[in-house]
Order: sequence, then structure tokens, then C-alpha cells
Amino acid sequence: MAQLLEQFINGLVLGGIYALIAVGYTMVYGIIQLINFAHGEIFMFGAYLALMLITVFNIPFWVALPASMLLCAMLGMLIDLVAYRPLRDAPRLSALITAIGISLVLQNLARMIWSARPQQFPTETLPAFFVSEVNMQTGEILNAIPLPGGGILPYRDVFILALAVVLMIALNRLIHLTKIGKAMRACAQNRVASNLMGIKTNQVIAITFAIGSALGAVAGIMVGLSENITPTMGYYKGVAAFAAAVLGGIGNITGAMLGGIIIGLAEVLGAGYISGGYRLAIAYIIMIAVIVIRPSGLLGKSTATRA
Amino acid sequence: MKDKLTPKNIIFALLICFLPLLMFAIDDLVALLSQSGIYLGWPGGEYMLRIIVRAGVYMMLAVGLNIVCGFTGLLDLGYVCFYLIGGYTAGILMARLGVSYWVALPLAVLHGTAWGLLRGAPTLRLTGDYFAIVTFGFAELFFRIVRNEQWLVGAPNGQLRGIPSPTLFGITFNQNWHNYYHILILLTLVVFITYRLQHSRVGRAWVAIREDEQAAESMGINVSRYKSLAFAVSAAIGGLSGAFIAQFQVNISAPFFEFWESILILCMVVLGGMGSIRGAMIGAAILGSLGEILRPGLIIPYQFGNPRYLIFGIILILLMRFRPSGLSLKKHNTNTA
Repeated sequence: MAQLLEQFINGLVLGGIYALIAVGYTMVYGIIQLINFAHGEIFMFGAYLALMLITVFNIPFWVALPASMLLCAMLGMLIDLVAYRPLRDAPRLSALITAIGISLVLQNLARMIWSARPQQFPTETLPAFFVSEVNMQTGEILNAIPLPGGGILPYRDVFILALAVVLMIALNRLIHLTKIGKAMRACAQNRVASNLMGIKTNQVIAITFAIGSALGAVAGIMVGLSENITPTMGYYKGVAAFAAAVLGGIGNITGAMLGGIIIGLAEVLGAGYISGGYRLAIAYIIMIAVIVIRPSGLLGKSTATRA
Repeated sequence: MKDKLTPKNIIFALLICFLPLLMFAIDDLVALLSQSGIYLGWPGGEYMLRIIVRAGVYMMLAVGLNIVCGFTGLLDLGYVCFYLIGGYTAGILMARLGVSYWVALPLAVLHGTAWGLLRGAPTLRLTGDYFAIVTFGFAELFFRIVRNEQWLVGAPNGQLRGIPSPTLFGITFNQNWHNYYHILILLTLVVFITYRLQHSRVGRAWVAIREDEQAAESMGINVSRYKSLAFAVSAAIGGLSGAFIAQFQVNISAPFFEFWESILILCMVVLGGMGSIRGAMIGAAILGSLGEILRPGLIIPYQFGNPRYLIFGIILILLMRFRPSGLSLKKHNTNTA
């Protein structure tokens, strides 16, 4: 029972991370109907950039986090400007292949810059309350909440989950209450008409990429706090997050959040209770099942068929 | 592909037919020269033949992928899964159950075809994006299955060892030049069938679907049926390539069929020009042998990663941006709708 509770919390934390990445996929898809395969790589860059800022430039964690977000937002906008914008009116296949190409370039670039060796944020550079431990002799629990049954809930996980929730709410408010949010919704409905109404669609798309990438960077840093940072993490976590976006209904932001939590829980519980070897496959199975049973996803519009 | 008996074509055909002889002749020549103290950088005829055979397999795969990506215009991100299915079907049948290659080969093709149909079925009514996602998921699933299911493969990490060479009339086809003619026959067959399909009703229907699915449907083309046919033929070719590579490599393991392999094949098709059989083969010949030939020169950067894929990524981006028709001469191979 204690194990289940702990697994459940781990699943929630992972789900929060997936939700943050999935939002990036779904926002871009909602506006330009492009599966931005490079988004996973941006998320990976977010982690590496923060790591580099902290270890090489000795910047404190609380500055590195927004700095990495900013850098990733710029990277996302740059990718849109250089690679996707010229192809806006080209066949969709061209844009998809370009996205794959960018993903390849970024992943191998990361491997060349930072090597394939798994890395972690050095413990001493992190804020003190991130480091939880249980003193075996005294039974004293440091920086963690004791759970019934003997488990612990590290403050780090509380922080990740809380930050994910705060960012989600902020994004939701941004989309629904601000002018740029309104412009984004308009573009998602009909890009050509929005353009005719005087909305600078290219600017809106660039901002969408920036927001998605910044959220991705946060997710990357969160993964870096609890797991290893590797050049392939963008690929693996990216696909799971994409599955979350599909599950929630691609193009639907609330759906992406919900999908992220479900995929995260399914992955952790499935790996714990079914088979560890298929840990990553669980997301794919859910994704394929969703496409077979309900392609529009949990919250998507039912008109998923589009020529 | 005009069947004209020009001197150029005849020389090319003769070259292809007698390539192994040429390789061994060069071997002898190099041996002769080295006796008189002249050393050339020739890697050896057997080694060259192996590279050529492997490039031949890539050519076959590229032609197969081109059917879905080039003709019907759907992005297949997991083509490697048919290669894997073919490889492991033939490999397990031959190495673990002692089935003859000549039985295992058609079974591998059938098995691949079945999965090709099953994989495509859920996405028939959806946009191409969903197809891309499903193909991606399938490739990963199959990869994990062969890696995890030890009872099936017999060893961890999908290691399948000692796949026997095919035998016919008491001859064992295990030499490199055997494999050369083996892949030459298979490739000729595949190219012939694909070429005939391309220039038939079926091929025109595929291109119509690529250009505008709704228009094609309204012109009376049964889109689901023709798409399924494309999936089946493409998957069959993948299965065939897999069965061949299983006996050629003797030992196969899961990393051989990783996701990036799909991207490599896609890159070949894109480089050659989507929708062109000749282009797919040229792209495969270039990228399939380039890595091998450049390997000595790339050893130092290899420590930092795999710059090959960095280059492939740049090729993909630049081609899509500046020349979507790839190396092929036609300006408009891909649709502009």
C-alpha cells in the first residue's frame, strides 16, 4: 500500500512533466497542424542549457531556470523562422520531414557538445531543500514529507508538481484572458481568416513556439532534477509526451494536461506492476489504442478526419 | 527507365552482372602490384562486395518506403519495423526451428505484409499525421518486443545467432558473391514489380491520393483500398529485405533495427526525390555506402557522437527547403497543394 502511494506520487510528478511538454506539441499542432518532432529536442536542450549555465558559468539555479527558458524560447522561435516558416504553404509532408531533420540535428549536436554521458545537476549547486535524505540511525527525515507506511515525499517532487500546476494555470489564463491568447485561439480556428482580420499570424505562431519551448525547458530541468540528462531523453520523453497530447486530443491544451497526467501515471504504475522492460512502450500502446478507438482524444473535437 | 539498348546501358548492365569478377580482378591486380612494391588503398574485393550487398539491401528498402512516402505521400516513420519483422521471422524460423530459407523467405514476406495492413488500418480514415504517429509507435513496440521477449528470440537484447545460409541443390550460398547475385535478383524483382505498379492504374491512383485525397475519392478511387495496397506492398518489400539481411548477417540483434534506421531510409528516399524509384535507389546507394566509405575519416568525430546523423538531418532540412524533388531531374515530384 505504501509502495502504491509512492508510485502514484511518482506517476503524478512524471505526469506533470509530460503535461508541460505535451502542451508544447499540442499548441503548435493546434495552430499550424504540424507535429513538431523537434519539440522533444528543445526540451532536452532546456536541461542541458541549464546544466551548462550552472556548472560552467556558476549561475545559481534560480537564475539558470528562467535563463534556460528564455534561451529555449529563442531556439524555438529560431527553428520556426528558419525551417518552418518558409514551408508554411508547402505540402505537409515537407514540414514533417523538416521537423525530423531538425530533431536529428539538435540531438546529434547535443551529443557533440555535451557528450552522450548521462549527467546530473551537481547536488551542491541546487537549492538545499531539493536534497532529501533519511538518516538511518535517527530516523530523521530531511527535506521530505513522511508518508503513511514509511515512504517519503521529497520537497523536490512537491516543487516540481507545484510548479507544473502553476505554469499550467498561468498558461490557461494567458490563452483565455489576454489579447495574444485570443489571437492564438483565432489562428487555431482559421489562420487565413485571422490574417485577414489583421492578426499578424507569423508573430502569433512565433510566440506559440516561444511559449511551448519555454515550458519544455522547464520540463527538461525538472527531469534533470530527478533523473539523468542524456541527449536521447528528448526523443524518449518527447514521444511519451506526444502520446499524452494525442490522448488528450491534439490541439486541445486542457486535454494535453490531462493526457500528461494519465500517461505519467500509466507509465510508472505499468512499469512497477506489469513489466519494467516495456516502460516506454506503455505510452505508445496507449497512443495507438487512442488512435484506434477515439482519434479525437479525450477532449478533442470529434472532427478528427481532415483531408 | 526506357528500355533502350544504348551502348551506355549495355556497359552498365554488363558491369552490374560481372561486378564480383571485377572486384576479384582488382584484388589480383592489387596483389600483383604489391609484389612489385606498389601499395594502393584498396580495402579488398570481399569487403567491397559486402558494402555493395548492404547498399543493395538499402536500395530495396528505399524502393519499398518510396511506395508509401513517395507515391501515396504518407510519412512512414517506422519502416524499419518490417525489416525487423522480416529479419526475425526468417531468423527464428531458420536458426531455431530449422526451416529452410526458401520457406522462411515467403513466410517473412507474408508476416511483414500482414503487419503492414494491420498497422495502416486504424489510420485509413484519418489524416497523414496520424499515420506518421502510428508507424512511429509500431516501430518502437516491435523493437521492444524483440529486445524483451527472450522466449521468442532465445537470448537477451534480441540476439539471434547462427542463422544458416540458404542451400539449394547441395550448394550453400554463403560467399559474398553469392549474396551479391542473391540481392541482385531480389532487387531486380522488387524494382520490376514496383515499376510496373507505378505505371499502372494502381500507381496513378496512389499519386492521385497523394495530390488530393478528397478529389481522388470523388473521382471514384477507393482511397482506403489503394492505401492498404500501398501499405501491403511496401511492408512486403521490407519483410523481404529483412529475410535477406538475416541470412547475410548470420547474427542479428535488436540495435540493428533501431528507430534511426527508419530515418536513414527516409533520408535516402528524400535525397533521391520522393516518388522516383530510380531516385530512391540512387539515394540508397549514396547514403548506404557513404557511411562505410567515410568511416576511417570519421573515427575522431565518432567519439563525440554520430556526425553521420547530423549530416543526414541537415540534408533533410536543406532538401525540403530548396529542392523538394531531391536529386531527381523532375522539378515537381512532390505535390505543391
